[in-house]
Amino acid sequence: MTWELLWKVVLVSTIGLFALMSLFVTFLGARDIKRLIRKLEDPTEDPQQDSHHG
Amino acid sequence: MNEATQEALSQSNFGVVDTVIVVVYLCISVVIGLLVNRYAGSMVNYVGAGRKVGVWLGVATMTGTELGLVTVMYSAQKGFSGGFAAFHMAVLAGVGTLFVGLTGFIVGPLRRIEVLTIPEFYEKRFNRPVRIVGAVMLVVAGVLNMGLFLKTGSMFIVGVTGLASDSSALFWVMIGLLLLVLCYTTLGGMISVILTDYVQFVVLSFGLLTATALAIGKLGWSQIFEVVHHELGPAGFDPTLEGAGFGWSYIVWMLITAGLVGSAVWPTAVARALAMESEQAVRKQYMWSSISFAIRFIIPYFWGICALVFICSVPAGSDLKDLFRPDEGTPTLNNLYAMPVVMGRLLPPVLLGIVTAGMIAAFMSTHDSYFLTWSCVITQDIVAPLMRKPLSTAARVRLTRMLIVVLGGYVLYWSLFYQGSEDIWDYMAVTGGIYFTGAFVVLMLGLYWKGTSSCGAFLGLMSGFLMLLGLEPIQKAVGLKYAINDSEWAERLTSSQIGLLTVGVAILLTIAGSLAWPDKPAQDNKEHTA
Repeated sequence: MTWELLWKVVLVSTIGLFALMSLFVTFLGARDIKRLIRKLEDPTEDPQQDSHHG
Repeated sequence: MNEATQEALSQSNFGVVDTVIVVVYLCISVVIGLLVNRYAGSMVNYVGAGRKVGVWLGVATMTGTELGLVTVMYSAQKGFSGGFAAFHMAVLAGVGTLFVGLTGFIVGPLRRIEVLTIPEFYEKRFNRPVRIVGAVMLVVAGVLNMGLFLKTGSMFIVGVTGLASDSSALFWVMIGLLLLVLCYTTLGGMISVILTDYVQFVVLSFGLLTATALAIGKLGWSQIFEVVHHELGPAGFDPTLEGAGFGWSYIVWMLITAGLVGSAVWPTAVARALAMESEQAVRKQYMWSSISFAIRFIIPYFWGICALVFICSVPAGSDLKDLFRPDEGTPTLNNLYAMPVVMGRLLPPVLLGIVTAGMIAAFMSTHDSYFLTWSCVITQDIVAPLMRKPLSTAARVRLTRMLIVVLGGYVLYWSLFYQGSEDIWDYMAVTGGIYFTGAFVVLMLGLYWKGTSSCGAFLGLMSGFLMLLGLEPIQKAVGLKYAINDSEWAERLTSSQIGLLTVGVAILLTIAGSLAWPDKPAQDNKEHTA
């Protein structure tokens, strides 16, 4: 395999994978945001969360 | 700047509609920052988003942080000057991140220990002095490292919008961007950073993919490879050849820098890992992010290559040839401008606005992450351990916010006065190396070798200062770089060779120091080794 062919394969395959991953992250990331906000709004969770630092 | 240069730089498709897109996008980002401000009450929430981030949001925020505007700019510069040979760094970055995801190398044990910062690990594993020394090294390197971010990002904005023809525009764009980032970062901390990283991911991934497809369509797939052959020869494809500024020592240096350090040791990436909800989520985050770690280099390299092709083979770009690649003499313009100027001409309105908005978002997300990480390290790992009385959470958040503003002032100062002329990527690898050469070794040995002692860790961390010899102004001052004639310079040691040497010294000193001065048994903290 020549360097040129290798870089062609790398370029096309990574762009294809990134396009696919973008779809996953767009939809499933929105779901994660909802969960994050819900957890942060729950005042009963981790009341001592700063106690072990520094 | 002469009239012909001004005329060439002022040509851009960026118009009113693009300005509206950018302004609307920025307003949305600021509103998000304001809305989530109420969650930033505790240090764990402010710095680590409460350690409640899911896998897919984690991938978005990792990508948002690491795919910054400065990354796009320095990578495009490498693509413009080195052609497809630069792709080797992207492959190493992707493979290195995948390795970290599959094995949990360094980040897995760190997440398990539940530290907020890397220096915090130094204290748990070694002792408080090592934590403070490690934090100082980290801050010195990190702050130097981001010194050129503001200028580089602003160069993109003025290049792509056609404002580069106005010599004062760069300064005012720097001021505007800095104020925007400072207001935004001090508001909401890590939670607002993560949410806007997500929005940035969505906008930027669309912009990157569409712009790349459009560039290929306009320039022609075969034409791109033919022009690189013609302009750069075999060195434009083969990274083992020295002609394009790479070679074997550079590749090995990149294996460490882009491959392992960028994902497993660099604090902004590690901060994302430490904000995840579990170690399992960290591994998944890294496995998926390996695609992002490769693409964050590949697409900008390719854009730099497209800029080269546009300037050298397309009639519409012929007026740029004398500025960036003259047949005789040296270029009159910094080649960092090549990609944004060409993109300003190649992309149509609306898409140009979306790409610019995405890039400004990328600029903001990198800056806020870096500001937050370094100021947090100063607060948590230098100031708090040195105080006799414990600092309250409110005092820590307040100090962190004040430090963010101080760091902003430094970044503006450094952007205006640093005189080095090395490629931005090489500047970043060298300055970052002050921290990561030692930290890489100390983290690796500290986590996986029980015999590592505090003294060994201290010596390993300190050896990072050898990397200062890789900075161009220092190389010239100590004679490592010397003038052959009026315009040519020769190096006794390249910055990549200095980097490899520093890693070797760090390994030797850490092992030798640990064997010669082992910790007393009571100081052993075996539960913190993997």
